[in-house]
Amino acid sequence: MKATIFDIQRGSFVDGPGIRTTVFFKGCNLRCKWCHNPEGIDREIKMLFYESKCIGCKKCKSVCKSKACILCGECAIYCPSMAREICGREITPRELFDIIARDKHYYKNGGGATFSGGECLLNPDFLRETLSLCKENGIGTAIDTAGNVPYESIERVMPYTDIFLYDIKCITKELHKAGTGVSNGLILENLKRLKKDFCGRIIIRIPIIGGFNDTEEELRKIKAFLDSLEIEEVELLPYHTLGVHKYEALGIDQTEFSVPSEGQMSAFREIFK
Amino acid sequence: MNERIKALCRLTLDGKMYVRPTPVAAVECPENMGRIEREADELCRYIMNQEPLLSEHMAFCGRFNFDGSVVGDAFKRGGHKYTQQALNKYYLKPQENLSTMEWQHATADYRQVLDIGLFGIMEKLKLSYFALEDERRDFSLALHKVAGTIIRWCEGVSRKIREFAKAAGEENRKRLTRLANNLASVPKHGAKDFYQAVLTIYVCFSADPDSVGTLDRYLQPYYDKGIADGTLTREEAKEYLQELFLMLQASTPKESVHFTRGGESHFCVGGYLPNGQDGFTDLSLLIIESMVELPTYIPQVTLRWTEKTPTEVLYKVMDLERQDPHKRIAFTNDEKRIKCYTEICGFPYERAVNYTMVGCNEPAFLGAITGSNSKGNILRCVETLFHKRDEKILAASDFDSFYSLFEEELFSDLQKIFDYDDMYNSERAKDYSYISSLFFEECVYSAKSLTQGGGKTVTASPMLIGVTNLIDSLIVVKQLVYDKKKITMAELIQALKNNWAGYEDTRTLILKTAEFFGNDTDTSSTVSKRVYDSLYRFYYGKKNLFGYPWLVGDLLGYNEHHKWFGEGTLATPDGRYSGQSLKFAIGQSEGKDREGLSALLNDVAGLDKAGIACGSTVTNLYLDKSLIENEGSFRSLVLMLEEYFRQGGVHFQLTYTSKEDLIKAKKDPQSYSGLRVRVTGFSDYFVKLKPSIQDDIIERTVKK
Repeated sequence: MKATIFDIQRGSFVDGPGIRTTVFFKGCNLRCKWCHNPEGIDREIKMLFYESKCIGCKKCKSVCKSKACILCGECAIYCPSMAREICGREITPRELFDIIARDKHYYKNGGGATFSGGECLLNPDFLRETLSLCKENGIGTAIDTAGNVPYESIERVMPYTDIFLYDIKCITKELHKAGTGVSNGLILENLKRLKKDFCGRIIIRIPIIGGFNDTEEELRKIKAFLDSLEIEEVELLPYHTLGVHKYEALGIDQTEFSVPSEGQMSAFREIFK
Repeated sequence: MNERIKALCRLTLDGKMYVRPTPVAAVECPENMGRIEREADELCRYIMNQEPLLSEHMAFCGRFNFDGSVVGDAFKRGGHKYTQQALNKYYLKPQENLSTMEWQHATADYRQVLDIGLFGIMEKLKLSYFALEDERRDFSLALHKVAGTIIRWCEGVSRKIREFAKAAGEENRKRLTRLANNLASVPKHGAKDFYQAVLTIYVCFSADPDSVGTLDRYLQPYYDKGIADGTLTREEAKEYLQELFLMLQASTPKESVHFTRGGESHFCVGGYLPNGQDGFTDLSLLIIESMVELPTYIPQVTLRWTEKTPTEVLYKVMDLERQDPHKRIAFTNDEKRIKCYTEICGFPYERAVNYTMVGCNEPAFLGAITGSNSKGNILRCVETLFHKRDEKILAASDFDSFYSLFEEELFSDLQKIFDYDDMYNSERAKDYSYISSLFFEECVYSAKSLTQGGGKTVTASPMLIGVTNLIDSLIVVKQLVYDKKKITMAELIQALKNNWAGYEDTRTLILKTAEFFGNDTDTSSTVSKRVYDSLYRFYYGKKNLFGYPWLVGDLLGYNEHHKWFGEGTLATPDGRYSGQSLKFAIGQSEGKDREGLSALLNDVAGLDKAGIACGSTVTNLYLDKSLIENEGSFRSLVLMLEEYFRQGGVHFQLTYTSKEDLIKAKKDPQSYSGLRVRVTGFSDYFVKLKPSIQDDIIERTVKK
């Protein structure tokens, strides 16, 4: 069994409590216009090309051994200006676990492995096996999900998961559809069921996207929904532009959003206190 | 800090508290006077003529400096004729592109003078005199004379202060009179209270102006007594400590480039006590807080961490470190060091726990000199293999065979570095050090000069420059030549002989795919451990000409040894061009460590299980400043570095910055004049560093 991932961040202090290794899976069934990991949207391995870095040396052409691209990565290796980059690699649960386990000694105090993406729950069987390896070896686990998956996928991983980092973008259905391409019906329904079935920790993560959901009205709706489920732990994540360059590499146009000010963020945090 | 300390602080930072030497005219000595007697005589006359620096703000006084006209202290080595000759021949001058001579450090053990005073030391000299050989008797008499001279000088200073106090306002007069009274008692006699203890150190620091050692340890009994009997408050203790630290800053003249560098007057707090307990106390914390509150650059302090150090103590000290704009705090691991000092050096536990960090980052034992500070080019053996013994390595059928050839060359170079070091020391040993030896208990006992191995527990620690280049070169050979067969040995040899010209693709392949040190892969950890095992096998059991056991380190110091060695070293398999600087210290390297902070720390912590590298070892961590802005991230960082120590890391020091800021600072120094960074053990303003060192810092990876 294999899954395709596009990054592993070791020694991370975000994406869950303590010191963590975060694994980013390729493939997502949302199309958030502000996505800061656009290379994680497609499930397939891709060649990224940063046109602005290309110096026109044509080294990529001279080292290429096939007529059509087979994603062997040779051109990326020999590109002297780092204009080309292979995005994604296949990995087995055991291989992934071995990498995670290298930092096992750092996972005390609530740390562990976080499975993120993309949407990691599009690989429920792979996740279940990797998570069980982690739990067998005393490593804490977290699933970072947008929740837009069949509930059975969540159920598959639940016994081996300590924490769900669950994204909620907005409550207004039309807004959600406009911003992510999908309705939030399944997402909200899954969260209701998860809260009922899961006895571990659920941390709600809300991206604050300037021009999308950065209104008091929308955030109060989220708050009301979470209150109805008696979920208290909420993190607000301000939109940032650190992923913008990746759109260029993927050849995708990006919708512009604004970064919320520190003042706005403080006011929004008050709502969730 | 109170107003008095603020006033002293302004004077110190203006350079007005540096005690200028008073010139003393030479006097013709009788012809029949022996060398030792003559040198001691000149020294005593010099001391007696030194004018103290007086200020109405001071509560302490008694510092003097040497001008090179007589045999001065063993740190600055003014008047040390043979040391000077050796420096002229070898200092800053690489020998065979393999070894350079460097400065040495020594750390006085103030406990003896605090306990029994100079009178007590003079009594000890008398008692041992008759058991000594003739030359030692001369030296013993010289020490006796110097001790008596310091006492008389202090009595004279006491009288001058009393006179000076008459014109002062009431509050200042009261303080100055107290100073005058106490200078008549210490360091002549042992210290009776915290104030006298600080005054003793203040005066005696002139004898070896290098490190105040394990300050919390020997001040602790006085602090405890004062607090318990109500004669001392925490605020008063802080005030005294701050004045002591200001004196350490003022020991360097303002016009010196070293004035803003933290590489001198390094000392320690915490660490294991002889009874096996962790020694960090409220006084240890007070010492760090007092120091950090001062807007000075010197001294710097290292926290000696033990498994028994509470996490909250590490958190507190790291918190002070992140708030310290002058980067004066570093961290070292007692577990690893004590294991090394007992198992490799063979020191008894109660001596092993008696170490401090000194200089940039050299371990030293109280009452001993560091036996070596020479630098060695450890990459030269790789150059020899690929550029001179290429036929031999072409015939190596596997990595083990290659490694055997490498180890032959490595050991051959290490032996030469070893021999050079002995040569430097034998030159320096022709000098006697009178005033410094007085504060080294074993020198008093044996009447043997500090410069001649008179200290008690000593180590020799040559610093090997280019360790990560060496490991990375071997990784390339193992991974890409033998394991994955991506490059042939013949191709690699030709690439290096052509300085990569025509082999740019090979170099790109290496830089992008090699599992370099710091990435915590099976290859990186296996190869780095194997190199350190080789170092252990070479050095274990070896002793230098004074009988000191050897340890190794990777510290650079103030000078550009990495540049000089690099200029003379041809291209190497790690992708380095001919003439390019070598890497120094064990830590981040120009983006080759790509897997995050935990991976880097795993490789660093795991490479030296035996501890042979517990010499002058530095792990510089360049971290993104966003890590300290968020409390949760900062706490995780503390826990990560605590665990790094548990895994066997020896040292770390931190710089929070971003690569972008460093690049901008190099281009626009005026806008970044306050950007302070950790360099190699010392800290300094980035814009004041030499360009080759600035480049090296920019190339280091900044971890997010």
